Amino acid sequence: MNRVRNFKLILWMITGFAAAAGAARYIFGLGPATNLTDATPWGLWIGFDVMSGVALAAGGFVITASVYIFKLDKFHEITRPAVLTAFLGYIAVAVGLLFDLGLPWNIWHMIIYWNPHSPLFEVGWCVMLYLAVLALEFIPVPLEEFPRLGAIRNFLVKFRLPLVIIGIALSTLHQSSLGSLFLIMPYRVHPLWYTSILPILFFISAIGLGLMMVTFESNFTAWLYKRKPETALLGQLGNAARWVFILYLVVRFGDLAARGQLGLLNGSEWQVKLFWFELLIMAIIPIIMLSIPKVRNSLGGQWTYAIMGVTGVVLNRIDVGGLTHIDRTGSGVYLPMWTEIVISAGVVSLAALVFLFMVERFKIWEKRPADPQAEPQTLPEFTPVFQTWLGDPVIAARTRYSLAFVLATAIGFALVTHDVAKSKGVDPSPVQRSRGSDTLWVDGNTDGFGVAFKHAYHMKILGETSIDTVEGVETVSVDVNTSCALCHHMNLPRDQNSGCYACHADMYSKTDAMKHEWHSSPQGANLACRDCHAKGGPKSADNAKKCDVCHSDLFPSGATIKVEQYEALSYTDAMHTLCVDCHRLKADDVSRPDLAQCAICHSEQRSFVDENTLAGRYQNLVGKSLILP
Amino acid sequence: MEAWLEFGRGPLFRISFTLMVLGSLRIIILQIIGMIEAYNRSADKIVPWGDLWKKTFSWLIPIFNIWRKRPVYSVISVLFHIGLILVPLFLAAHVLLWKNSVGFGWFHISQSLADYLTLLVIITAPLLFLMRVLNKNSRFISRTQDFVIPLLLVIPFITGYICVNSSISATGYQVMMFFHVYVGNLIMIMVPFTKIAHCVLMPFSQFVTGVGWKFPKGAGDKIIATLGYGNKPTWFDNPRIGIVTEAETSQEQEDKK
Amino acid sequence: MKGILTDTTLCIGCRECVIACKQINKLDDDIPHRWNLDDGLSGLNWTSIVDKPGDRHVRKQCRHCLEPACVSVCPVGALTKTDSGAVIYDGHVCMGCRYCMMACPYGIPRYDWDQQVPYVRKCILCYETRLQKNQQPACTEVCPTKATIFGDRDELIKEAHRRIKANPERYIDKVWGEHEVGGTSVLYISDIDLSFLTYGQPLGERPVPTRTSTAMHAVPFAFVGMGGLMAGLQWIIGRRNENKQPPKELTDASEETKDE
Repeated sequence: MNRVRNFKLILWMITGFAAAAGAARYIFGLGPATNLTDATPWGLWIGFDVMSGVALAAGGFVITASVYIFKLDKFHEITRPAVLTAFLGYIAVAVGLLFDLGLPWNIWHMIIYWNPHSPLFEVGWCVMLYLAVLALEFIPVPLEEFPRLGAIRNFLVKFRLPLVIIGIALSTLHQSSLGSLFLIMPYRVHPLWYTSILPILFFISAIGLGLMMVTFESNFTAWLYKRKPETALLGQLGNAARWVFILYLVVRFGDLAARGQLGLLNGSEWQVKLFWFELLIMAIIPIIMLSIPKVRNSLGGQWTYAIMGVTGVVLNRIDVGGLTHIDRTGSGVYLPMWTEIVISAGVVSLAALVFLFMVERFKIWEKRPADPQAEPQTLPEFTPVFQTWLGDPVIAARTRYSLAFVLATAIGFALVTHDVAKSKGVDPSPVQRSRGSDTLWVDGNTDGFGVAFKHAYHMKILGETSIDTVEGVETVSVDVNTSCALCHHMNLPRDQNSGCYACHADMYSKTDAMKHEWHSSPQGANLACRDCHAKGGPKSADNAKKCDVCHSDLFPSGATIKVEQYEALSYTDAMHTLCVDCHRLKADDVSRPDLAQCAICHSEQRSFVDENTLAGRYQNLVGKSLILP
Repeated sequence: MEAWLEFGRGPLFRISFTLMVLGSLRIIILQIIGMIEAYNRSADKIVPWGDLWKKTFSWLIPIFNIWRKRPVYSVISVLFHIGLILVPLFLAAHVLLWKNSVGFGWFHISQSLADYLTLLVIITAPLLFLMRVLNKNSRFISRTQDFVIPLLLVIPFITGYICVNSSISATGYQVMMFFHVYVGNLIMIMVPFTKIAHCVLMPFSQFVTGVGWKFPKGAGDKIIATLGYGNKPTWFDNPRIGIVTEAETSQEQEDKK
Repeated sequence: MKGILTDTTLCIGCRECVIACKQINKLDDDIPHRWNLDDGLSGLNWTSIVDKPGDRHVRKQCRHCLEPACVSVCPVGALTKTDSGAVIYDGHVCMGCRYCMMACPYGIPRYDWDQQVPYVRKCILCYETRLQKNQQPACTEVCPTKATIFGDRDELIKEAHRRIKANPERYIDKVWGEHEVGGTSVLYISDIDLSFLTYGQPLGERPVPTRTSTAMHAVPFAFVGMGGLMAGLQWIIGRRNENKQPPKELTDASEETKDE
């Protein structure tokens, strides 16, 4: 049983990772925990978990239809695993949706708030109802183990045929409606994929995928539990799948021709290559393989075409669901963040674990996997000499799986919080010192677009300032207490009139003006904790000395600037507040209403000014008070 | 060094903290499952619930139970545990770290109380170690981790105390902090995997004893009487019998309670 | 049916409308996030100015389509088109599926990606704060050059055509929003091509919701039809099996899917 054990161990580890990533998604929100953007609001979780998840679970209704409608009794032995796969698949879709929805606690709103125009409303209702149908179809299987509840079981079995018919009808609706979802996006979906018969294409491919998925799942579990694979039976399924895929190809190309878009296939865009790749692995190669009975009825052949078909249809769902939108929205490439991938994988792993539990506990297959407690002698670890089973006891498995889960979660948490928590998706844009000495070229973005700020002129018009020309050199005498203080914070070492960028250090984000690191470091202010914080108790901002205890003239009287917090505004906000406030005041004083309008400063903002132009414009100042960068 | 400290307080702390919490949760769940299985397997399903509750709570403050046998040891042990639990959880600086990193904090104790409790741990931990080494019976039933863990536990307390209460050079401070953070992380990782797990498994021990062993009331007395030891204090004369009876007599004491 | 007409030739790009929008809707400061697009709209900016070469400024906001795609696709009906013309949003109903963001032909709705409780954000024409009090939206009120004006949609269309006729060399002869996707409440006249307000492809005059309505109308028939077909088939096949005893099925498996 080592194979099963190791497989389960891996599944538990993935689930553990996903638990950490899932916690991060709920704690930090969708933005920091995913790579979704305003242009790609649907990502991997919709493309894979929902769209492909529903399609992958199509095996349930295809097999029940074959057995109960078309009375092909030979498929009866794969009905139970197929229905179980469908059931768990739909539960996985619902769980995946809980991660994707922004307000998952409102998911039940679909029941009371109706909008029948919406394809998603229809998909939601069908999935809910079909989940209920699948539950009713499947419950008789576990009930076999509880003879006391036989009455319920018999009751449910009696209604099996109506349930199957309702299930098929519901599946038809929502498998196709998943395609209808994208009918509203002709401007996003590439014309090679966008067609008004998307629902029909989705339905046909879902049937094919259902057959491929049953083949894959059956062969995989056979390998896992070392069962005898149902090769002949699956070969017959494959034969059916061949006709489905041929039908799909005919419809798809017929539609392309009918829309007159066949010419698109001559292009050399990557979408054309994607289109051919998708069709090759989804339909064309599997059809060729399925046409050869020898390949169709061999284990290796079944593995190959099943994996190809499954991958192909999943790729098709992802293409329609987002991959082909990339160029059309012009928003750059969306690559899922690792948390998204891990959560998708975790949901699938959890479903797989439940599946394995079910097949071990209940009669899903004709022959249940050997149970060491019930029939130890059938297992390879059974030792005839001692008449005991020397494999892993249940308690060891339990210990091992839980340890794998806990370890994976712990490592996941370390990764999550390091990557995700720290970056809230904001790129810092540091502010540099403005260029020039008197006429400041205030260019916070450092992209060449700036605002010319004539310092001397402002000094002249603000407060008691006089500018005299003594021996050809401008000298400025200022009443420091009133005028400089209007704009500058004071009392910074060696830079009495502090530069704006010192505290407003980021263009858009609020920053820490206090700079705790600097105050405590030996290279900076070299202060001990107790110089600022009270003795004992937590050392926080609340019980620290206020700035003006040490910097007594930080807030001069008559200053426009007020420092109330340790947080400094972003550079843009600070500049706009300071300049615009003053301009508004002055606009009334000098009765020039345009003074407070944007264009008074930003007149040159949108025209790139290189050094030469700048030098030309401020020719008389260059070398005297304007220093060019 | 600064980078190492950041790593210890950042990703490593998250790993060890998650391991501690989830790991403890895991052993609790495993314990409960084990208990249920034991209960299902046992022949008679009679569990003296009231008695179990009473014993569980009385053993949460073990001083009354072992007072008669080793009074000094029991007092020191209780003092040690008080400091050990209160200081890491309710130290103001630790609460502040929480507030800063996850956004919520809780009640904290004053710095002077924390200092006294830290000193208490620093003094009692070596005493516990010495008493374990010097007592023949204790030494005999001890595993390696029983000797190592009290000494390991005390390292964060010593380094933390030095960092807070003495003026040392910046380098010295960082070295102390390094040991404080990394040994602290090591201890957190060790919680679910070593005997420190008794901090969460404690409440279950009585149940396991009660369901698994089914000692009737006064069993210990009867055994002593059967063995012919009468009222003699049996737990430290003959090394062989002493070892055997130590477990039983403590059981007997529980039963009497 | 009210609407807004924006004349880009009059806009000086002062962004007073952006500030007024922030104030009336109590929106916090915005910072450039990873998920923002370069058009300036975000969860905290419901209108923005897109600067174009040649000192041209174009205001971007929700177009309040006459047949809105977002309203038609919302599975819980959190978005509604009111009689006043505004397309409004009810966050209490929303479940956060973001289908509206995918469906909007103009790519307008934005999301509170950084919030634990995120909502869809877009211009709601100041519906509750001003429209219901018979006031015009904040943005049109503060515009210093009257580049963006509020009024009856029909009146605005007339005004737009009047301006174009009066100054044919000044404008491109087209009122954006008069017919495209079935008409929008927010209209533009301009001297530059405004196709950058969409995803780049021509939108056409067909209302977007009609593209799904055919499929949606087929739903009840598909359900009943498929159910009936299955019930009938199983009855027929059952009868056939009964008739030819012993009921050994020898048909190839491929037959089972022929009907789809």
